[in-house]
Amino acid sequence: MKKILLSTFIAIFSQGIAQAQQSCATAQVINAGVYGMTAINGTQVPGSICISGSLTATAANWYKYTPTQDYAVTITSDFPSNGLTDNRVNVYTGSCGALTCVDGDDDSGNNALCVVTFNCTANNDYYIVFDNQWSSNGFMFELIEDTIQTPNPTNITFSPVSLSSVSGSVMAAVDMNGDHLDDIVSVNATTIQIRKQNSNGTFTTSNYTTTTAQNTPSWSLAAGDLNEDGYNDLLYGGGSGVTFMISDSGGTGYTQVSGPEYVFSQRSNFVDMNNDGHLDAFVCHDVAPNVYYINDGSGNLTFNQGGVGDHPNGGNYGSIWVDYNNDQLPDLFIAKCRGGAGTAKINELHKNNGNGTFTNVSNGTNMADPIQTWSSAWNDFDNDGWMDVVVGASSNADGMHKFMHNNGDGTFTDITSGSGIDTYPGMSIEYVSYDFNNDGFADVLTNSNILYNNGNNTFTTVPYSISVGSIGDLNNDGFLDVLNGSTLHLNQGNNNNWLTVTVEGTNSNKNGIGARVEIYGAWGKQIRDVRSGVGFRYMGTLNAHFGLGTASSIDSVIVRWPSGNIDLVCNPIKNSVLHIIENSGVVPTATFTAGSNTIDEGQSITFTDASEPCVTSWNWSVDPASGWQFTNSNSSSTNPTITFNIPGTYVVSLEAINGNGSSTNISVDTIQVNSTAGLTETALSNIVLYPNPVNNTLHIANGNFGITGVRMFSILGEEISVSYSTNDSSLPVTHLKSGTYFLELTGNNGERVVKRFTKQ
Amino acid sequence: MMKKFTALFLFFSIVFAIVLNSCKKEPVEPTIPEVPEAPAPTPTEPTPLPTGVSVDLSTVPYQKLSEYRFFKGQMKDQVPEDGVMPYQLASSLFTDYALKKRFVWLPSGLKGTYIADNKIIELPVGAALIKTFYYDNVQPSGVTKILETRIMIKKSTGWIFAEYVWNEEQTEATLQMDGSNIPISWSQNGTIKSANYRIPSALECLTCHKTNNNPIPIGIQPQNLNNNFTYTSGTFNQLQHWVSKGILENNLPANIVSTIDYKDSSKPLRERLRSFLDINCAHCHRENSHCDYRPLRLAYSETILPENMGICVTPDETLDPMLIKIILPGNFNKSMMHFRLSSTDESNRMPLLGRTIIDEEAVQLLKDYITSINDCNG
Repeated sequence: MKKILLSTFIAIFSQGIAQAQQSCATAQVINAGVYGMTAINGTQVPGSICISGSLTATAANWYKYTPTQDYAVTITSDFPSNGLTDNRVNVYTGSCGALTCVDGDDDSGNNALCVVTFNCTANNDYYIVFDNQWSSNGFMFELIEDTIQTPNPTNITFSPVSLSSVSGSVMAAVDMNGDHLDDIVSVNATTIQIRKQNSNGTFTTSNYTTTTAQNTPSWSLAAGDLNEDGYNDLLYGGGSGVTFMISDSGGTGYTQVSGPEYVFSQRSNFVDMNNDGHLDAFVCHDVAPNVYYINDGSGNLTFNQGGVGDHPNGGNYGSIWVDYNNDQLPDLFIAKCRGGAGTAKINELHKNNGNGTFTNVSNGTNMADPIQTWSSAWNDFDNDGWMDVVVGASSNADGMHKFMHNNGDGTFTDITSGSGIDTYPGMSIEYVSYDFNNDGFADVLTNSNILYNNGNNTFTTVPYSISVGSIGDLNNDGFLDVLNGSTLHLNQGNNNNWLTVTVEGTNSNKNGIGARVEIYGAWGKQIRDVRSGVGFRYMGTLNAHFGLGTASSIDSVIVRWPSGNIDLVCNPIKNSVLHIIENSGVVPTATFTAGSNTIDEGQSITFTDASEPCVTSWNWSVDPASGWQFTNSNSSSTNPTITFNIPGTYVVSLEAINGNGSSTNISVDTIQVNSTAGLTETALSNIVLYPNPVNNTLHIANGNFGITGVRMFSILGEEISVSYSTNDSSLPVTHLKSGTYFLELTGNNGERVVKRFTKQ
Repeated sequence: MMKKFTALFLFFSIVFAIVLNSCKKEPVEPTIPEVPEAPAPTPTEPTPLPTGVSVDLSTVPYQKLSEYRFFKGQMKDQVPEDGVMPYQLASSLFTDYALKKRFVWLPSGLKGTYIADNKIIELPVGAALIKTFYYDNVQPSGVTKILETRIMIKKSTGWIFAEYVWNEEQTEATLQMDGSNIPISWSQNGTIKSANYRIPSALECLTCHKTNNNPIPIGIQPQNLNNNFTYTSGTFNQLQHWVSKGILENNLPANIVSTIDYKDSSKPLRERLRSFLDINCAHCHRENSHCDYRPLRLAYSETILPENMGICVTPDETLDPMLIKIILPGNFNKSMMHFRLSSTDESNRMPLLGRTIIDEEAVQLLKDYITSINDCNG
């Protein structure tokens, strides 16, 4: 039946069945239209294919297409009449003997038929090749010409690169040797293979033989520096236990540590759970309470079970450590899944109490949801400074995806409706969030789709032929790349700017896992958590990656470490990698200029701050503490104005403060305030006020100084009336409040002097 | 010549002969082992009491397998004590080609009850199910080696698991509930195979043996027992025999929709596959099970519907863009079920637990079935 039907179609639609498609050199020339073939029997098999998959085909049919103008060309075999015939197409350009891949497809059509669309340039030769990888049966296909659609310029594309000689499963894109360039890690039971990324973009591959791993990372792999030797260690989450591969110092090999405990591992993470500065390890248990391994800092790991997700039937699949309440402590969200009745499928959020204990806050936060989920994508999707989450469904049995907005008050609100998350029909065990197009808004990657964040809590889905894998920057170009098995999908980038922040803990764990990285600029604020273990299975970069969109500068970067330390860097260079070591943040050097250094009494001086870097607050002071006042400013103003009321010498000091601490220096400047009478204090220095301090009556011992006028001022420069007695050169002060006061005395010749006294 | 042998020797000779024969053309598991049963009651006397067996519900699980006294003579010979009934399932779970002997024991005078063809026979409190896993032709010396005996005991609060691991001397098995691995090599039809055999922990037992997290048996459904078993007294239908022996109430329906031996190539492909899926997969792919959130429903009673078997069903998870349907008619290369059955990776393989190597015969069965169908009706 099928053959007859196919023959009929061919007879009707085909523009000729040539037998000339045996090889590249004899390729049948085609144009837009429907073509048929009776069998795949061409003798030349292409040397390689343009899509992932194996190539053991023994025959291929070749077609040559040369467009007269630029077109978006679709090749499709997706016709019902092709039935269950499974075919595959690859498209090349160039000349026979020097073909390069354009595109290809295996199964995008119905029933494993193929459909591929690619852009063609006028007058170039394109070779369309069907091989018999799956079937040699004949079928019909169509070539369709269409106008080229201009792609959204912010959407990025990926270019696949095949990695050769990969040993084992590719599980991680993470720096392994402390240079903060992401490396590629693949493992099997006896080998750790590391492709170390070199600064020039090449890789150097090393194979480290291990003792046979008691557990292989069939469910998840995490990386972190447990022994703080500068080389990351690995955790293999296996189906019946957990194995650690600990680097020896120098990174020349790995030593296995395997626990005897039965653990049905799911997602695993490294994180400092008890906040002692040493990385611990956490492993989701599928069928029992979660387990964790506490690191005493001397290389000893102690197995623990209980206290962090204790459902007796488990259901723990996707743990992710995220500081949801901005208290600088990583909290734990567990994406959960379990068939049957019962509560093991209810997602859990555990607040880190900072002392190694955790409180289940799932209900109060609105996060206790029965979605059957294996992972969740956490990021601050609206850049309001609080981590939000897309909880991705693995099955629709208990509800689909949810987009939960962090209200910043310890609760979340369901904003799924209308966000584009509600209409995303796919399901997966893998959801991760990164800014793939560097537009400054974190996106979501799940299998075969990127959900681009539009910046307004909505997403636009764009399909890709990639799935979630290990994610890192594997060519150090500031755009995140994706590893799928032995295929590296290199992000082709766009014109957006970026910043990558790499962190190194000192008081905190060496990887800085759990640190919060914030960047400030024209966009406001963006935040990232440094996390080991996101999504379900793979290990991605430990570097904090930010897209900047079109913003051309960054004001500052703040790292809030799990230890409580804070570092701040100002004005980092865009499109660069910024390395921040804990407590290395520079405190300011205080410096300022004075508008003048000599003035007359009653006049003002404006002081202009010139402290660097990144000063966030100022502390001005003047000695002596009286005889002056701030005008339209205060002691914490950036550029204060001070009015000096009383002649004398003043020392003005500035302390500058930024996120890293106070300036180690105090900047000083001396101000000379002259009497408008022009007399110097020195000539009148024999004048003495007594008793000083005084209770009731202040006497002036004036020598031969003939007093013609007396004025009194408070420390704030306010004039206070006096009743001076020339008889005994005294004045009553009983009515004054305790404090410091000044007398301005005028002599016979108009000369003036200021003396201070203290009222008790 | 044979007549001069004792019954016991006769039995084992036959077993070994069958095993040897079967080695030449088909796997060992479909062979029906002949196991002596309790002595047949004389018509005028009541069934003898199972005096030998000890199942004290207040102290089980015992530390040693021998404490139950389920077996006569040398325990490794697995000769059941009076009242311990050997049985078989039409199809059985593949566990790295391990061979199995199954027994059921009920307290004296108590009976099991038929509920439905596809429901576990309701057993009384005190009942025990015993399953011993062993290999023949274990390398290098080619001996038979028993690895483990799994027991389920029904207490008033429900079923419990007891896992016993045999010693090297094969004289005793000791309670061990934490799981372990035993590397083993054996000759399978003349080919040396190896596995890192998994002794399950209690949690692994429960992962498959549960409904809504309550422990349950899997195999003893009437649909799996409605077949002939060769006892020393003759070959009988197991269910009828249980009734006649007084351990099953006589309320069986006239017709029982039954599974078949999936390794019996004389049977229809679809029925064989459905039987395989029932005993190997349905404990997780049915309502109230570990994975009931996936669309598959693989119990024999449910795979009547092709979509329950995954035919033309898009998988929830895209493991590989090539695996476009759970079963794509006519194309096993693009069928997720074929990929998972052919995988040994812990996170890709199916079944999830119970095997570390590939059930080659089952993969071939699935391939043959997929190749044989050309539409979504299966």
